[in-house]
Amino acid sequence: MIDDEYFLAALRLASGHDPVPAYVSTAARQAFALRVPHAVTALPTGYTAARGVRGAEGPQLVRFVTEGLTFDLEVTIGDGLIDVAGQVSPPPGEGCHVDVRTPHLTLTRPVATTGQFAATGLPPGWLSVVCHRPGHAPVQTRWVRVRP
Amino acid sequence: MPDPRQPAELLPAAASGDQSAWNELEARFGPRMWAVARACGLNEPDAADAVQGAWLRLLEHLHDISNPAGVGAWLATTTRREALLLIRKAKPGPAPFDVTHDPDPESAVLEADGNRMLWKTVSTLKEPCRSLLTLVASDLGSRQVAVRLGLPIGSVGPTRARCLEKLRTLISLQETVQ
Repeated sequence: MIDDEYFLAALRLASGHDPVPAYVSTAARQAFALRVPHAVTALPTGYTAARGVRGAEGPQLVRFVTEGLTFDLEVTIGDGLIDVAGQVSPPPGEGCHVDVRTPHLTLTRPVATTGQFAATGLPPGWLSVVCHRPGHAPVQTRWVRVRP
Repeated sequence: MPDPRQPAELLPAAASGDQSAWNELEARFGPRMWAVARACGLNEPDAADAVQGAWLRLLEHLHDISNPAGVGAWLATTTRREALLLIRKAKPGPAPFDVTHDPDPESAVLEADGNRMLWKTVSTLKEPCRSLLTLVASDLGSRQVAVRLGLPIGSVGPTRARCLEKLRTLISLQETVQ
């Protein structure tokens, strides 16, 4: 039955009753600024609600893996904003930083020699982290949607 | 005005950093993506998230879309997948259908000049299909559709499915002829 959705979408579109809102188009165009040339993308391997409590306010743990680098992100939503505590492994050594990105705000943070970093107060929605290491191509996590 | 660039040109241009090519992709396919997200039943904020998510996926895949000419269908499919994931997250329990393997036989309907052809085809349908599909497209709920067409409310869903089936048959006949 889901195929019907395509016909309905086409009919609705052609009828002009539900045009795409201007802010959606603007956001799509601005997203191009989030392109990271030559980046390698790390893919998520699964989500875990911390302590296994469904629907609780606890942090979400997400792991992203690509060849040679793993991200572990602990994402917490409080007061309508997102906090991210992360670990890249193996520890990347000196001179590494991350960009913790949302479509509206990017925070750049140094990565400790242990591989840890943190960023707080991000708006909810789509989120991605890019790790920059000297001498390596940047590695970005796949975009994930984080909403309360 | 120069001829608009084709998707097969726009995608590599965007991949090499051309913002204007990206904007053209958005102008061309953004409205369809919105319609797809809304047709999945999402409200406006969720549909906005699904559409934005599909654009971010395109950013991730700028260099590895196997068929650049089909980027419009790729975007529609990806929007639908993000919309379904969003619906699945909102409702606990297993997904009602598999969202990872998606053959998308109908996505061509949303391509190119498909919309004009679609309405032309709708206008050839007999009643109540012609009116019903027009009303459904304008976002009327089942109750209002039933009142307008003088149908029992319980028959709106099945009638809609039957009308879409007729439409699908006609469209596939046209595609065979072309």
